[in-house]
Amino acid sequence: MRVGAFSAVALGVVRDALHQKIFYVLVAVALAMFMMVPALPSAQVGVQLDLLRDGFLGLISLMGFLLAVILAAGVVHRDLERRTAYFVLSKPLTRRLYYLAKFAGVMLIVALALAFSWLVGLLFIYAKFGVFNPGLGKALFTVFLECAILASLTLLLSVHASPVVSCFGTLLFYVVCHLKGEYLSEAMADTSRNLLLRGMSGFFYYILPNLGFFNINETVAHGERSFPVGAADLLAMLVLAASFTAAFLVVGVELFRRREI
Amino acid sequence: MAPAALEVLSLSKSYRSGLRRPPRRALEGLSFAIPEGAVMGLLGPNGAGKTTTLKIIMDFIPPDAGEVRILGRPWRDAEARRQVGFLPEQPYFQYYLTPRGLLRHFGRLLGIPRDKAEARIAHLLNLVGLGEEGDLQLSRFSRGMLQRLGIAQALLNRPRLLVLDEPSGGLDPLGMVEVRKILQDVKSQGTTILFSSHQLSEVEEVCDHLCIIDRGREVAQGSMQELLGREESYEVTLKERLEASLPGGEELSWEWVLPGRRVRFPARMLNDSLQVLARGGAVVEEVRPVHLTLEEFFLRKVEGGGAG
Repeated sequence: MRVGAFSAVALGVVRDALHQKIFYVLVAVALAMFMMVPALPSAQVGVQLDLLRDGFLGLISLMGFLLAVILAAGVVHRDLERRTAYFVLSKPLTRRLYYLAKFAGVMLIVALALAFSWLVGLLFIYAKFGVFNPGLGKALFTVFLECAILASLTLLLSVHASPVVSCFGTLLFYVVCHLKGEYLSEAMADTSRNLLLRGMSGFFYYILPNLGFFNINETVAHGERSFPVGAADLLAMLVLAASFTAAFLVVGVELFRRREI
Repeated sequence: MAPAALEVLSLSKSYRSGLRRPPRRALEGLSFAIPEGAVMGLLGPNGAGKTTTLKIIMDFIPPDAGEVRILGRPWRDAEARRQVGFLPEQPYFQYYLTPRGLLRHFGRLLGIPRDKAEARIAHLLNLVGLGEEGDLQLSRFSRGMLQRLGIAQALLNRPRLLVLDEPSGGLDPLGMVEVRKILQDVKSQGTTILFSSHQLSEVEEVCDHLCIIDRGREVAQGSMQELLGREESYEVTLKERLEASLPGGEELSWEWVLPGRRVRFPARMLNDSLQVLARGGAVVEEVRPVHLTLEEFFLRKVEGGGAG
């Protein structure tokens, strides 16, 4: 794989994203809403710091997911629609490199947005409470991992589907994967249901990732007092996210390699 | 004969537009070759399969059958494209970039070292007449300027083979002249060029080889001289108007250009025709060879379904 060409395509995605209003709107709205959290009536009673951290992580998670999904849905599709892909793919680089570099570009911009938000969050919390809280980075790391899974799935769907359909498909995946621990396991175990339904519940239960596993926002927001998040936990999440992301990327590359453009 | 820069061998391609509809054949056993250093025009009516052919050559779509060889290498090898430049129909670029920024980006994709890329970019911008607009945003560019920039990006890697899809498509007459001049410059440097076009005058002026396709099939192929020369005829002007009709019309295939005064015969029939005219009492004032124009040749081939 040629590093120069890979980085040129990936940095092209970052440059494109920085010229899109959606990037600034999402970051600005998330941060503005975060800064308004202390003004909430419930923030006046006792647990202001925890509430602020919780609000911060919730808003930044949402921003990260939206950014990853919206950018991934358009990054290849728009190139194909506007035919700018012809210029790139007529050069001596493979479709695999192009596809993976596009994904890397999306993740780079998500990382940039999360890092910037983390800095703003740290400074704001320090200014408000005099507490320096770099531990919030742990939660943002897991948000990044979840974004990687969502972006790789959206990119896969966008090879053949429109951006709207790709986003909708990913949203469905997100909802099911967050609820699966609760509902799918119950449906699978419930013997009063028919066999097909139980079988399907079991299939999805085992094949889909449990995205709830990546959500450590509450734990981190409460200062990890009850459940400290260690390096081993983060490593386990990294392995899980890398496995699903890699699987989606492999399928996506194969679909894109066969796609007529 | 020079070795082929591009060989297209028995390409077939169909498109399916629905599960229940039969597939539409876009190409049927298309073959042609371009000698190195030649400029070939790919001509055909709308829907003939020109763009499909170029897309297969560039590996944007796979053929159902057949293969392509670029400078002796299989076309699906990404390295084969290292020596190819490509311009799609109606190029679009990110509006916020400048020509220099865009060419730098493509230079990185091609792995051209930065210092060499800068010199090459400056040269190309001058070549396509954008030397002074190199740092302007593309949002301010006209269609013709974007087209010229598209040609510049295709030339960035000093390609041995240049593939252009409708390089003058949608341009005003001035823009067409500019593109034609650039193509002639590139041609003079020995680059092999394949381009599809609807502009017959452009093809006639720039190309030395021609491939006409219709409904996915090749209907004529060869050097311009060979193809247009093959259809040569003679026009005979008579000193006085001939009132009597000419005998042997079917065998001689004559055709009045100016009734009674000027008649056209195929080259192979010239001697017989002159004898017939003399026997009919006509006095010949002038005999001159008439070369078929590309337009006439094209219309005969396409309307005649490749016959003749």
